[in-house]
Amino acid sequence: MATSTSRETKSASWWNYFFLYDGSKVKEEGDPTRAGICYFYPSQTLLDQQELLCGQIAGAVHCISDISGSPPTLIRLRKLKFAITVDGDYLWVLGCSLELPDISCQQFLDQLIGFFNFYNGPVSLAYKNCSQEDLSAEWDTFIEQILKNTSDLHKIFTSLWNLDRTKVEPLLLLKAALILQTCQRSPHILAGCILYKGLIVSTQLPPSLTAKVLLHRAAPQDQRIPPGGDALQERGVALPPNVHIMPVFVTEEEAISLHEFPGEQMTSSPASPARHPPKGALEEDTSRHEESMARTWATTPESRPPDRGRPDGSGENGPFSGCDLESIQPAKLHSTASDEGPGLGSSQVKEPGLPSGKEELDLFEIHIPEAQETGMSPGYFAFPSVHVPDGGGPRCKESVSDSGNPEPKLSEASPVGTAIGGSLSPSTPDMLTQNGALEQRGDLPGDSSQASISREDLLPSRTSGPLSPPRLGSKQRGTKLLMREQGVDQCVDEAHENRSALGPECHLGSADSLGHGLRADSTDSRLTPASCGGLVRMNLYTHSVKGLVLSLLAEDPLLGDSAAIEEVYHSSLASLNGLEVHLKETLPKDEAASSGRTYNFMHYDRIQNVLTANLPQVATHQDRRFLQAVSLMHSDFAQLPSLYEMTVRNASTAVYACCNPVQETYFQQLASATRSSGFPSPQDSAFSLPGKAKQKLLKHGVNLL
Amino acid sequence: MKCILVATEGAEVLFYWTDKEFEESLRLKFGPSDNEGEELPALEDQLSTLLAPVIISSMTMLEKLSDTYTCFSTENGNYLYVLHLFGECLFIAINGDHTEDEGDLRQKLRVLKCLFEVHFGLVTVDGQLIRKELRPPDLEQRVRVWEHFQSLLWTYSRLREQEQCFAVEAVERLIHPQLCELCIEALERHIIQAVNSSPARAGEEALHAFLLVHSKLLAFYSSHSAGSLRPADLLALILLVQDLYPSESTEEDDDTQPSPRRPRSSQHIPLQQPRSPRSSGPARGSAGTETDTFSLLEEYFTPAPSPGEHSSGSGSTVWLDGGTPPTDAPQVQIAEDTLQTLIPGSPAPSNPRRIFLDASVKESYCPMVPHTMYCLPLWPGINMVLLTKSPGTPLAMALFQLLDGFSLLEKKLKEGQEAGSSLRAHPFMGELRHRMDKFVKNRGGQEIQSTWLEFKTKAFSRSEPGSSRELLQVCGRVKRQLCAIYRLSFLTTAPGRGGPQLSQHLQDQVQTLMQEKLVDWKDFLLVKSRRNVTMVTLTQTFTYLEDFPGLVHFIYIDRTTGQMVAPSLSNGERTSAELGKGPLAAFIRTKVWSLIRLARRYLQKGYTTLLFQDGDFYCSYFLWFENEMGYKLQIIEVPVLSDDSPPVGMLGGDYYRKLLRYYSKGHPAESVKCHELLALHLSVIPRDMLVQQAGELARRLWEASRVPLP
Repeated sequence: MATSTSRETKSASWWNYFFLYDGSKVKEEGDPTRAGICYFYPSQTLLDQQELLCGQIAGAVHCISDISGSPPTLIRLRKLKFAITVDGDYLWVLGCSLELPDISCQQFLDQLIGFFNFYNGPVSLAYKNCSQEDLSAEWDTFIEQILKNTSDLHKIFTSLWNLDRTKVEPLLLLKAALILQTCQRSPHILAGCILYKGLIVSTQLPPSLTAKVLLHRAAPQDQRIPPGGDALQERGVALPPNVHIMPVFVTEEEAISLHEFPGEQMTSSPASPARHPPKGALEEDTSRHEESMARTWATTPESRPPDRGRPDGSGENGPFSGCDLESIQPAKLHSTASDEGPGLGSSQVKEPGLPSGKEELDLFEIHIPEAQETGMSPGYFAFPSVHVPDGGGPRCKESVSDSGNPEPKLSEASPVGTAIGGSLSPSTPDMLTQNGALEQRGDLPGDSSQASISREDLLPSRTSGPLSPPRLGSKQRGTKLLMREQGVDQCVDEAHENRSALGPECHLGSADSLGHGLRADSTDSRLTPASCGGLVRMNLYTHSVKGLVLSLLAEDPLLGDSAAIEEVYHSSLASLNGLEVHLKETLPKDEAASSGRTYNFMHYDRIQNVLTANLPQVATHQDRRFLQAVSLMHSDFAQLPSLYEMTVRNASTAVYACCNPVQETYFQQLASATRSSGFPSPQDSAFSLPGKAKQKLLKHGVNLL
Repeated sequence: MKCILVATEGAEVLFYWTDKEFEESLRLKFGPSDNEGEELPALEDQLSTLLAPVIISSMTMLEKLSDTYTCFSTENGNYLYVLHLFGECLFIAINGDHTEDEGDLRQKLRVLKCLFEVHFGLVTVDGQLIRKELRPPDLEQRVRVWEHFQSLLWTYSRLREQEQCFAVEAVERLIHPQLCELCIEALERHIIQAVNSSPARAGEEALHAFLLVHSKLLAFYSSHSAGSLRPADLLALILLVQDLYPSESTEEDDDTQPSPRRPRSSQHIPLQQPRSPRSSGPARGSAGTETDTFSLLEEYFTPAPSPGEHSSGSGSTVWLDGGTPPTDAPQVQIAEDTLQTLIPGSPAPSNPRRIFLDASVKESYCPMVPHTMYCLPLWPGINMVLLTKSPGTPLAMALFQLLDGFSLLEKKLKEGQEAGSSLRAHPFMGELRHRMDKFVKNRGGQEIQSTWLEFKTKAFSRSEPGSSRELLQVCGRVKRQLCAIYRLSFLTTAPGRGGPQLSQHLQDQVQTLMQEKLVDWKDFLLVKSRRNVTMVTLTQTFTYLEDFPGLVHFIYIDRTTGQMVAPSLSNGERTSAELGKGPLAAFIRTKVWSLIRLARRYLQKGYTTLLFQDGDFYCSYFLWFENEMGYKLQIIEVPVLSDDSPPVGMLGGDYYRKLLRYYSKGHPAESVKCHELLALHLSVIPRDMLVQQAGELARRLWEASRVPLP
């Protein structure tokens, strides 16, 4: 990190150009092209060259749009390729080397735009409000960070930078997850993630948001002042040490997902991974545990895959179509749930119940036996949620298993809670009578109570601005939480009966009208003053403890609510310190373990957008071969959905790959390949790769069986 | 939504081709609704208006950045643009309906360029002269030229979609040893020899003759004096023939034409059903093919390797010993005179046609040597093609060598080597000067003489040597002069345009003769060409469906000879191939095509083995090298090519010829063969079994191809 400044000028070989061009500034004949250049990387490029590229590419884009009706997203030259995004008059262009797969090039550009929008709001406003120099500095930081942290592997997948979970004590991951859950209970806080040295330790956010938050980490260290952020400190809120709060902008989809599932995040989903480890206590396979953890999050509806989640276009979210589906087949859903249920439920009973007030203390008191084999394949959770488009399925499933558990007092079995919470809510008496009204809020089947609470919590404050008393919401919430607890208590007693009732409950809660409900909600949020240009304003709370950063996304009023800030701060401080110490102790220890590899592998989680791999920092010749093959096959997997499994071979190496809707796995044997003729022969080692991959990757928690 | 455009640097349209949908979209764009009276601009002008910004930008980028566009794609690949600059002409291919990927479009552009070369030869070297050919000032003539190439592109698209041989770009044989032998004999004795001994041949010399049944090759014969014909050229010729006389695979056996080939409607006879007595045509009467297609017993064999051996590399300047160009100026003079009297609109679909093919004569390789192609239809679906060479061949070779020399010089000048003394001292310069002096003296053209003189003063004068820029300019002018002579000698006096050609009588004579020879076979051939599978060696029968359970389809290709073998995949409604008909066959066809696509892509990136599961199928691809004896040679690292390099194939760039040359460098002592096998298995077949089957299949096919002539 210290070397970051020296790297700034050194352009990466694969990242040639990046520029933002404002076509509205160059309309007349006499307008110089340079007037439209908002930002150009690398900055030392000659102005003539900058003008040439901007002018020519803008012209070509215009011409192609004319003929095709839509602008090009990719322009390839002989030695260079450009990803293109057109946003009104603005043209974003990223120029990469040819080795980078087309998709990755486009994803990098999307990411960059996402970063900018996240921290600065819509581009037109940002350039109106801030000076070009400031924003350019901002861009420099973004790019520098991306280049610094993007390895050859990440380049192919544009994946998030995550902690190698196999190298961390699983308990620590659990702790991190619990810290996040705790924070979520504070007012305004929606969801968050914990990073250690720029790598994800735990996240509740959808991958696109996690990526944006990830990039923030170096900011305090670089004393970077966010252009929009300076106003914050002036509001007179004294922030606790090491805490920063800045306004950020999330897309509407992201906002919806954050709002829709706060209950989700604070309840079933993050809670269940947390509870998984203790329940079985059978085995010490750490990696497996992490896998399942990752997977579980993957099932939470907000982390939907970019292109699968919303088959019906904007406004419609994957989970809802999922719910529809699920409501059509409640029986089937239920059967899977009960398959899963007993094992989980019974084991989870062992876990001590957590009193809702001081969870974070308990977290460290709990004796967690050992991480264990969860007994389900890593993909298990994730698979149905995406493959069969029933985003709601796993959720209900989880809640089923939860219902046998005392702990769900705070994170209750959602569908059960639905009815109860709703009925008890004083502010929504009519919701009880007409489901439609309730669902108009965009609530999920399982979480209507919480969701409605948080919405009451949030909506007024969002619409009426800082004037509306934010505490009201949280008070309400508190009471409701209590009520819910009671309700759940009842439920727990009759867990089994309830389980059988779940199907219908789900049906009731999720049914047909849900989709409309969501749409209504999204229009709501578009109307709120906090949203502009398709972006919704939020606060990003960051608390750094040495290398550890807790980032939380919160509703806008957080900033003015010092009590809430204090609450978050104090509820997490001790745990963060503890976690930091532990991570520091455990992490470097395992670093040197990668010598003597006999194979390379790479496992890509398509939902979470994270990678697991065993490749060394410095790639050998064979490693590069591997990377080349991976990038080719990754592109084909993305383009040909029916492609399932693939083996490619050239004279020096053979690579096996397989994929399903949620993951891709690549495997290469490093033993020097016996030279063959290429003639089809069963003795050819290339064809035994699948077997070897299945066998070897088990210990990395990758189950190909 | 498809379009192809060839334009100059200044966005002048040299050629275009669009499908109906694209034309419609243009009409909507330039919609005349508001100005009823006004006429729409011509299609070419619309295209030029629309694409000019990209064309000009692409030239600007090239000039300023030494890099230029190769591809545009819009969201989800809805629209795909592929650009390639050949010399001074920019080729653009557009697809807006997801039916073609980038490789397909690139290949289409290459094929178009290859077709230009086949038709215009070395004239394509010069930007200005090719412009005259592709865009004649006379509108009527221009329309005719464009229509011709448009039709060829349609034919190519159809063949690539329907025929395996065009999908993998290899010549497909119709395998029947006895018949093949019979045909070769007929071609030799009654065609080539007959033509060459006839006084009515007008100076032409018959070199090659071959028989095509639809797009499959039945027999091929080359005269002893002829060099070899590259398989790539043969494939291009098949394309030309299919364009002239399309086989009705599209309208698939519609009995609209009173074609004599279908006296019986027995095309539906299901597999292995004993032949109905009523359908006993004359086919079986002769030559004892008691086992015909319906019984799945067939003989597989490869006849004499006539169109095989590829020739040595091009590129280097090879001077022929004493190959002084003949002084046939008078002839050209005559030709020029005839040109005056020629009516521009000759009615016949240019047959015979002047074409330019690569040839290796006396050990030396020469590209784009003028030939004349006579396509003589025997029956619908069965054609005989006769290739003759004109007496102008030595001139063509001399011109090529000179052009090649000047191109090399140009390259050196552009690379910035000193123009003055060092260049003059270069041995090749001396030789070039010598050759050129001789050529100019013999040809005696006024213009070329003065240009050459100018060049000599600039290049060789000791007192005031010209700068390299000046030299480059004169060099370009000399080249243009040479191209102009080439054009005048071979294009303006082409057989279709009134140049010398075999007399019509002679053509009729050989046509009738061949008809007589084959009349008993024609029905059999037409059916067989549709169901070309069941292969049987002389000793053992094998039917792949039975011997290889789980195998659905395969294509076996000998890349050395550029020939392939595969079960037929008929797409017709009324004929059934081995895989049956209807949706299942169509489905398998798409799988095979996508396998071909993927295999090509991975080969381009250096992977010689590919195995993948696609839905319910296992698709596999293998490429290997072996020596003459069938001993498998070790695989090597195959070059990794960029996306805009010539696609893997034969028609545009001949990837496999280069690959073989590349491999042979490491094996100078052996003659190296290259084979490919593509197979489609059901995915229930275990992987090991599948690989084993592929190996066994390849072995048997190889053995079959080794069976000597009966």
